[in-house]
Amino acid sequence: MLVVLGLWWTLTSGCGLIDPNRFPDPAETWAALQQILTPGYAGGTLVQQAWASTRLVLLGFAVAVTTGVPLGALMGLSRRAESLLNPAFLLLRPIPPLAWIPLAVVWLGLGDGAKILVIWIAAFVPCVINTWTGVRGADLTLVAAARVHGADPVRVLLEVILPGALPMIFTGLRLSLQACWTTLVAAELVGTLYGLGRVLDSAYRDVNPAMILVAMVTVGLLGAATTRLIAALERGLTPWQV
Amino acid sequence: MAGLKRRPGRYESWGLSLLGLGLFLGVWQVLAVGMTAGPQVLPAPLAVIETTRHLLVAPFAGHTLLGHLAASLQRFGLGFGLAALVGVPLGLAMGRFGWLDDLVTPLFEALRFVAPLAWVPFAVLWFGTGIGGPVMVIFAGAFPPCLVNAYRGARQVEARLVEAAQTLGAGPLRIIVEVLLPGALPAIVAGLRVAAGLAWQSLIGAELIVAGAGLGFVMVQAQSSLSPQIVMAAMAAVGLVGMLIDIALRRAEWAIRRQWDQLA
Amino acid sequence: MKDIRFDGVGKTFTTRGGAACVVLHDIDLTVQAREFVAVVGPSGSGKTTLLRMAAGLDQPSAGEVRVGGRRVTGPGPDRAVVFQHFALFPWKTVRQNIAFGLRCQGASRARQTVAVDRYLALMGLDDAADRYPSQLSGGMQQRVALARSYAIEPDVLLMDEPFGALDAQTRTVMQEELIRLSRQEPRTVLFITHAVEEAVYLADRVVVLAHDPGRLREIVDIGPTRAAEAWNTRPIHEVMELPSFTHLRTRLWRLLRDQIRPGN
Ligand SMILES: Nc1ncnc2c1ncn2[C@@H]1O[C@H](COP(=O)(O)OP(=O)(O)OP(=O)(O)O)[C@@H](O)[C@H]1O
Ligand SMILES: [Mg+2]
Repeated sequence: MLVVLGLWWTLTSGCGLIDPNRFPDPAETWAALQQILTPGYAGGTLVQQAWASTRLVLLGFAVAVTTGVPLGALMGLSRRAESLLNPAFLLLRPIPPLAWIPLAVVWLGLGDGAKILVIWIAAFVPCVINTWTGVRGADLTLVAAARVHGADPVRVLLEVILPGALPMIFTGLRLSLQACWTTLVAAELVGTLYGLGRVLDSAYRDVNPAMILVAMVTVGLLGAATTRLIAALERGLTPWQV
Repeated sequence: MAGLKRRPGRYESWGLSLLGLGLFLGVWQVLAVGMTAGPQVLPAPLAVIETTRHLLVAPFAGHTLLGHLAASLQRFGLGFGLAALVGVPLGLAMGRFGWLDDLVTPLFEALRFVAPLAWVPFAVLWFGTGIGGPVMVIFAGAFPPCLVNAYRGARQVEARLVEAAQTLGAGPLRIIVEVLLPGALPAIVAGLRVAAGLAWQSLIGAELIVAGAGLGFVMVQAQSSLSPQIVMAAMAAVGLVGMLIDIALRRAEWAIRRQWDQLA
Repeated sequence: MKDIRFDGVGKTFTTRGGAACVVLHDIDLTVQAREFVAVVGPSGSGKTTLLRMAAGLDQPSAGEVRVGGRRVTGPGPDRAVVFQHFALFPWKTVRQNIAFGLRCQGASRARQTVAVDRYLALMGLDDAADRYPSQLSGGMQQRVALARSYAIEPDVLLMDEPFGALDAQTRTVMQEELIRLSRQEPRTVLFITHAVEEAVYLADRVVVLAHDPGRLREIVDIGPTRAAEAWNTRPIHEVMELPSFTHLRTRLWRLLRDQIRPGN
């Protein structure tokens, strides 16, 4: 950590190897952080901007999980549902979520709606696929064992199949979350009034590398924090896993 | 629940798939026709196909669809190739040398959570909006899986093989090229496939924001001229090409895995 | 030809909990140039560790290992290692495996071909030259491993239970072959084994290690008997029936059994 800081300082202000117009030195970055913390930048303080972005990610993610996981489970449980839904899925899946941004903007404008739609699309696919794979891979001997012990179908689903699929589902959730952040940043760069993407965009237009760095680090930290959250949740929900 | 046990017959399954496809296209068509704003908001499937055919011959935003595709593929190839060329050797070397691992891993971990698209401002600042900037964004998207898979693959190569090579007089470079690289090859190819997907996705993102040509650029241009059928035609092209790239790499992955399984 | 000298060699591993575990303690042993020394000892007595230190794959925690008078600091092509599970490169053919060490030394293509052909013939591997290791039987794989080690013309051969993974018949054949090979190309050999018969049949001297911590228990001289009765020129089953052989074998068995059940 200290080494990185030292190296950074030496390369920028220390011996001026890197042009300050291309990469900021620590002092500038500190100043930029101060600026965005108290007066604010691009229409809001750091906390406001970060919250605007995080809120969208969480909303989109929540919608994706509540729609994607049940759909994936349905496709994993019933071959009929799988056959019926698969074609639409196959057609839509190869389209990268970011490619939906322009369409979402045409449909819903530059507001939050378009962003939530795009984030939902981005997070939806990994949710569905991983739940689907996890449920389909359910251990049939376990299912049979539960049946023999007189468990009814709902109980089998809730107590045997879903727990078995949980690790897979969580893998999907982690991928989803990462896709959410990537998509959000892209969507906000394409056009928005608030959010970290807006900060990035303004800083880029103002040729303010220090502010770019602050925004990038914030995005990275938020991404890391939400991923940690999911990991903690996974540990809590699947204590049998090492 | 019944579906879990009873598999539908082959024909039933095909029939359902066809039905699903028909339903999807049907709903799309009905929605498109039924929407008050008409094709301006949701173009019908046929309209999209028609637009695609039109775009193949008539230039939009400077080029025909194929011209834009060529521009996108060029950036994709450069960014992806660069990521593989840097990421794979670095990953293998990290798997061999502890000090390099200790040096790169913290840096890598710190950067891992920065979404590739967040590199756009710096990329443009450093390399401009032409080729360099987008290529760097693609690189940022494709680099992590290249590095991580090469590293993991190298760590999984049996220590005995490395020691055998050492005792036969192999230097570090030879160990990396002749022992770690072939040993990690299946993992590397799997990583390249993931990387290609991310690279393609980052490319579109980068082109949405900064570019003067390419499929992403077509989309933003069509978006600002409010022609959703062109947006959707470009989306279809993006999806199709992305799928072809994925299929090609999947084939390669299978072939290598099969061959390696035979050798092991 | 070089000798191997262990001077007060000790090895202590620190386990993950931080506890020190003395594996070898104060080993003084010299393997003369061209001498064949076998090491037997209970499992976990540090035989492999001893060999790895001579190979330079592990560093002693006390004392030093010298090969040909030079202190061992790392692996080198003057000391070839034959591993228990062969450690052949699965993605190289038999020919490429044998040539590997020569290529590391930068030998010319012509010299490589000559040497590889010679060892292929010597080991009866001509028909398998272009096959991959996975297509060979265990015995053949071990022949390739031997050929690969002999091909770099090392001064010292270090073998860690090289025949341990083979079935009884193949094992006997390989033992005879090794005798033939070391008659044709005498080398300094340190040979680790579990099997007492094997040690008596192959070695000039047999070193017995004691357990916990591993240390020298006894050294049994076989050389004079071997020379007097011309074991090297007789088939293995004949040698094994000689009274002198059974006597030596019983003696070593007793020594070993005392290690495993102390106080007996
Ligand atoms: N890298 C290591 N770290 C910690 N302990 C080790 C390590 N390598 C070996 N040991 C310990 O050293 C002891 C001796 O191991 P070694 O492999 O040399 O025994 P061995 O005589 O070859 O046994 P075997 O006959 O079973 O092959 C064992 O108790 C082992 O657990
Ligand atoms: Mg051993």
